[in-house]
Amino acid sequence: MKTVYLDNAATTKIAPEVLETMMPFLTENYGNPSSFHSFGSSQMEAVEIARGQVARLLGAKSEEIYFTSGGTESDNHALRGAVKMDSSRRGIVISAVEHPAVLDTARSLAKEGYPLGIAEVDTNGELDSDSLQQLVSTETAIVSIMAANNETGVVMPLKESAEIAHRSGALFHTDAVQMVGKEPIDVHSMGIDILSLSAHKLHGPKGVGAIYIKKGIQLPPVLTGGHQEKGFRSGTYNTPGIAGLGKAAELALTHLDDTAVKERALRESFEKKIVDSCPGSFIVSEKAAHRLPGTVTIIFRGIESEAVLTLLDMQGVYASSGSACSTGSKNSSHVLTAMGVDFNLSNSALRFSLSRYTTQEELDHTVKLLESIVERLRRISPYAE
Amino acid sequence: MWQYSDILMDHFMNPRNVGNLDSPDGHSEVGSPQCGDAMFLDIAIDDQEKIADIAFKTFGCAGAIASASALTEMVRGLPIEEALSIKNSQIAKFLGGMPPEKFHCSVMGHQALKAAVEDFRAKCNEITKVLDEQGITAVLVRPGRVHLKSKDDIDAAVKALGDRIQRNISVEAG
Repeated sequence: MKTVYLDNAATTKIAPEVLETMMPFLTENYGNPSSFHSFGSSQMEAVEIARGQVARLLGAKSEEIYFTSGGTESDNHALRGAVKMDSSRRGIVISAVEHPAVLDTARSLAKEGYPLGIAEVDTNGELDSDSLQQLVSTETAIVSIMAANNETGVVMPLKESAEIAHRSGALFHTDAVQMVGKEPIDVHSMGIDILSLSAHKLHGPKGVGAIYIKKGIQLPPVLTGGHQEKGFRSGTYNTPGIAGLGKAAELALTHLDDTAVKERALRESFEKKIVDSCPGSFIVSEKAAHRLPGTVTIIFRGIESEAVLTLLDMQGVYASSGSACSTGSKNSSHVLTAMGVDFNLSNSALRFSLSRYTTQEELDHTVKLLESIVERLRRISPYAE
Repeated sequence: MWQYSDILMDHFMNPRNVGNLDSPDGHSEVGSPQCGDAMFLDIAIDDQEKIADIAFKTFGCAGAIASASALTEMVRGLPIEEALSIKNSQIAKFLGGMPPEKFHCSVMGHQALKAAVEDFRAKCNEITKVLDEQGITAVLVRPGRVHLKSKDDIDAAVKALGDRIQRNISVEAG
């Protein structure tokens, strides 16, 4: 059976070049870069090459990049570190549509007594900057706004949000896990103080990521131990993962312009074909000013998303939905809820996310399958006209 | 993906008894506010108070659609009270097993059946009440047809029901 992978916002396949870069460190070059002996210490070169590759993708300096286990750790580091820097600044301000790595971390800190403000988004899923402005004060430690949303693909106003944070003297962090490698990012000109990224979203390996911390910011460590990464992040270097992340970053930079144009064109024609051929379907955040090239959430009115996913899965097409139905309750997407999408409609939402490997043929095949799936389920549905 | 049995997948892919009945004796629309699933159910009840025909529509996952399909197959031809006594575990068994997280899917079918039976009873009671007020004795009352004890009452029954109930009811004696 021909399979089509359209869940690249969840994770991506490892690029062959990335795997090739990693292999020596998974086999003969197993030394610990922190060791005294040359067998280990010579591996530090690979770590530093990767640091440079990641820095270039972000417009950062090498010494501003620290390796972590991934996006979740980087987000935790940013928030948990920032609130401990200055006892007169304890507040956290985030958006309502953050990934759980930020949202649940912020909520957990709120339970510990750190004040939390949550800025609203509008019906397009775009950040309400006035709402953000009102929440930020001279008591705010950190403002954390995602670079792009993982469900809608809406790109957030980073520069403007950073300015709002800075006017009150707060740090600005962005969870850029969905954006890195998809759209250009320049941390310095955008005013970003801290940024989280993950390797496996850009054709790198799982279990490795990085945090960019602007030079001069003394963000306290969350993981303490062996003083790796200048004490900012302890733990034995994941050399294969780090080398893989570096290569993935280099490849992403090489493909950045092409990817954005190609993926965007593919996604736009995919959206149009679905809306034209599937009754009751419409694009979420269609009117947003700026969306990621390859991520889209589509609502299929009158049919339930898990039923669609099941039928797609049976035919080898892999997509996702923001909600999951199990043990009698459905956790509707907090993103769609924050946008004011009706509960029933949010249960009809499916996300398709492309990569630079996605082809026109794969998308056309998917549209064809969806057309018959939607027709089949609408026949059963009490809500379809 | 959930681990679904072949039988369950067959009921999901080819659900039995989908649609509406032309003039149902009982109709219900139920939904689960927790999970957003919804079900519309029509039933036809025969002279022996058995479920003669049944049709459904469901908004829900594979488990919900298959459970609804299974329930309609299981209750067709059963006396109402027996149909209402079918348990979730019997539906799951009928489908060759279900993931425990999906047991709740079959609850909705039971609610829909209960509500459709209540609708059926309410409609019958409404008709019986109108006839009682006129002193007319019926031997059988269904939402769409009435059998009277005496054919002398036919005209009075047609008039009373026609004035009071906004539904086509055929009136016969016998």
